[in-house]
Amino acid sequence: MKVYLGEFEELVLLTIATLGNEAYGVSIQQDIEARCHRTISIGALHSTITRLEEKGFLKSWMGGATQERGGRSKRYYEITQAGKRAVTETKSLRDELWDLSKIKLSLK
Amino acid sequence: MNHQPPRLARKFFEWVCGPAKVDDLLGDLDEWYSIHAKTKSPFQATLLYWKQIFSLSFSYTVRKRKRDAASGMYSTSNFSMDMLRNYLKVAVRNLYQYKYFSVLNVFGLAIGMSVSLLLIALVAYIKTYDTFHIHQDHIYTIVSDRTEGVEQRQYATAPVVLAEKLQQHPDIEEVVRIQAGFREEIKQDKGTLPIKGYYVEPNFLKVFTYQVTQGDPVSALTKPNTIIITESAAQKIFNTTHVLGNTLEMEQGGLLEIGAVMKDHPINSHLAFEVLVSYATLPPVKTSVADQWMNYGRQYVYVVLKEDRSIDQLNEYLNKIAQDTYASLPIKATFDTQHLHAITMGPDYNQAIGPKWEMSGMVVFSIIAAMILLPACFNYTNISIARALKRAKEIGLRKTMGGVRNQIFIQFITETVVITMISLAGAILIFLLIRSEFQSMMVASSSIDLSLTGQTVFLFFLFALATGLLAGAFPAFYFGGLNPIQALKNKIRGRSSAMRVRKVLTVFQFALSFGFILSLVVFSRQYQYSIGFDFGFTKNNIVNVPLQNVEPRLLQAEFSPLAQVQSIAFSSDVLGLGFSNSWVKNSVNDSLEVAQVFVDRNYLSTFGLTLLAGGNFPEEAGSEGDTYRERFIIVNEEFLKAYKMDQPMDAIGQTFLVDSTELEVIGVVKNFHFAPLRLPISKFFFRMNPQHYAYAHVTVKPEDPFHLFSQLEDRWKKLSERKMEASFFEDDLNEGYSMYQTLLKIVGFLGVLALTISMLGMLGMVVYTSETRSKEVSIRKVLGATVPHLTLLLSSDYLKLMVWAILIAVPVTALFFHWTLPRIQYYSVTLNGWDVLLSTIMLMGIGLATIASQTLKTARANPADTLRAE
Repeated sequence: MKVYLGEFEELVLLTIATLGNEAYGVSIQQDIEARCHRTISIGALHSTITRLEEKGFLKSWMGGATQERGGRSKRYYEITQAGKRAVTETKSLRDELWDLSKIKLSLK
Repeated sequence: MNHQPPRLARKFFEWVCGPAKVDDLLGDLDEWYSIHAKTKSPFQATLLYWKQIFSLSFSYTVRKRKRDAASGMYSTSNFSMDMLRNYLKVAVRNLYQYKYFSVLNVFGLAIGMSVSLLLIALVAYIKTYDTFHIHQDHIYTIVSDRTEGVEQRQYATAPVVLAEKLQQHPDIEEVVRIQAGFREEIKQDKGTLPIKGYYVEPNFLKVFTYQVTQGDPVSALTKPNTIIITESAAQKIFNTTHVLGNTLEMEQGGLLEIGAVMKDHPINSHLAFEVLVSYATLPPVKTSVADQWMNYGRQYVYVVLKEDRSIDQLNEYLNKIAQDTYASLPIKATFDTQHLHAITMGPDYNQAIGPKWEMSGMVVFSIIAAMILLPACFNYTNISIARALKRAKEIGLRKTMGGVRNQIFIQFITETVVITMISLAGAILIFLLIRSEFQSMMVASSSIDLSLTGQTVFLFFLFALATGLLAGAFPAFYFGGLNPIQALKNKIRGRSSAMRVRKVLTVFQFALSFGFILSLVVFSRQYQYSIGFDFGFTKNNIVNVPLQNVEPRLLQAEFSPLAQVQSIAFSSDVLGLGFSNSWVKNSVNDSLEVAQVFVDRNYLSTFGLTLLAGGNFPEEAGSEGDTYRERFIIVNEEFLKAYKMDQPMDAIGQTFLVDSTELEVIGVVKNFHFAPLRLPISKFFFRMNPQHYAYAHVTVKPEDPFHLFSQLEDRWKKLSERKMEASFFEDDLNEGYSMYQTLLKIVGFLGVLALTISMLGMLGMVVYTSETRSKEVSIRKVLGATVPHLTLLLSSDYLKLMVWAILIAVPVTALFFHWTLPRIQYYSVTLNGWDVLLSTIMLMGIGLATIASQTLKTARANPADTLRAE
């Protein structure tokens, strides 16, 4: 496998994909916290986003200021083709492993 | 809902991020705040906001954005070579355009830095001490802290028995003992030559690294009565360095065989010796072990630690030894280790083995250097700020065109650094000029080398850079913060607090200069006072000849036939300069320490001393064969007081036990200053014992001293190989106070520096104010003001500052002298009104001349020239 995605990276990428056009700092964090029932720190989230952006899995653009934001614009994120490929590859690897281990895991 | 996110947190975040673009992050934070504000208390929301700020501040995101911003197109902190070139160009143009101020600044800073350069060169050299030993990093010496009764003193020495205990310690590679007391006279064909060195153990050369050129160093230090000699000492005694196997005959008897020859040790060594004598040469120790533990004579213990061991365990071990050993002894002591490199410039220990610069002296020197340097830096700062007006337009324009605070700051720092670099050249020039004089004033001048090396020049350079930053930081900061609109409109007003600081600093400068002038006046008076002091004995027409081991009788026989010689007396010390001490006991009192000089019969008449009672020593009193038996003493009045005798006659015939010999008082002499003036007259007696004679005192006719000396010289050559060191007694006495000349030189030099710096600073300010007030002066003149009136108007501010300075400096210096003068010298002058008046006249005179040179010009200027343009 060419790419390596950490658990949190995968989570962030998928969340951004889920949010579609509404993926920006606050919404991403809220979504992850609500879905996973865990608190994440804003610094860790943004660090991960920045690293994903560096790897070319995410792209961003500026837009949409609101009053609660003190008139400052949001930075929206979107998953790129490379990003899609990366999550897909991760998923197929997992699926493969799931298939192989089904017998042994055999949940009752 | 009305609550706002904490501003301080946002400011902090913006400060952390600097030029990086973080608008979106701040937006997210604000949004989070409003979300939190709905469900939580404002305080909690604020707390969370802060938490998020910190979380982001340390995040990779902010780091990366900052990095991007630093290299981005519109980055503002970009420091390009082009701009630097521009700053340099502007700096040079400015220096050139305002030559007058440039010269003032360069001159002032050069003077200010010169003394510091001496300090830097000195410290840099001292730091090279003992760096030539291979084991330098692991060598330690044992130092002691000894308490006897209430007296506690630190020693560089340690009891030799300690070394035996240390040998068992597992962390120690080598232990070596050094006995520093080797001082002998070596017999020559004619006379003797002195030689000094150490008794050392055979492993000395394993610990310390020296280059042995001939012979076997190990056997040389193992066998008794063998030595290793340095090449220069061999040259001195034998006129050649091929001396292996030769023997030295000591005057006290005994032969030393030369077992090896070594190259002279480098001068930057805290061990200084001519010969190394084997430890086995020392007589076997006969004192008890307890006595040995209490002996802190000139004996030193050095250890080499094993490479990977820490010193802590050895220190603990030493503590334990000290506790165990001194529990049962009358004195208490503790030991500590001192690293080889900490010895030369370390704490003030007693009995240091070799050349040494005490920390306290270095601190005083640093303070003096700072006292000269800081006013010079301050002048630069002061003049730069005062002239801000001239530069305001340029700064305003730069800011309008997009220059930010940091850039303006860097520009002005660059400018200051350019000036300090030019000043550094001047300072090095001054350094070269005063170096040899400075060196000659130092005690251990032969073990210091202040020549310029790459390293010192590099340090000078760093120092100049630091000075530039120090002097330029405030103006650069001030200019960086100028408001561009006001700057362009030429509406800059000096803040009043800055003005006050400036005035205080100026007063401080003047006070310092005044202090130096006053010290100069007082010390020169003290010198005159000491030279002209009535010691109570004759000091004219007496020539002192150090005997240098020549037999007094032979010298008498050679010198007395000369026509100009009237009489010859012998003694052990030069009156008014030196004396020795003895413990004296009589049947009633405890022992007393009494000063003494050994003399002969002619002595009292030669020096014109008055006998109050009794008589002179009898002729050849008590001569029995070869050894002379002493019988009498002649005491002074203080001696009588100490033994509570009212009348001089009462003392005659009394006996005292001196150095376990019973001596009888044969005469009482009037009090006179047998000791230097720094000591009060105390108990004293003359003794008579030819064995102690070290000087001949030749009374001569006061004519043609040159002829006399050449005659004496001729005769002397028959007696000894050494050079005759005869000199007039009066010169010797004055020489004893030559320390004042050195002091005067130092104080005078520093005074000139301080005064020059403060005057340069004032000159700069006067020139500046005269320029800016020229219009006002012209208008006043047109309206009828006279030249003296205008001059006074322009000068009055500075005169006030000088008066303030004097008012502050007088009590401070008075206190200083009140404390120091009696400590330097018991019989001393006190600060009086005349000193203050004289110093005031000097400071005011120079100050007025400086001010008037500018203000007069401005006041005399034709008002039409100034006002024409209006």
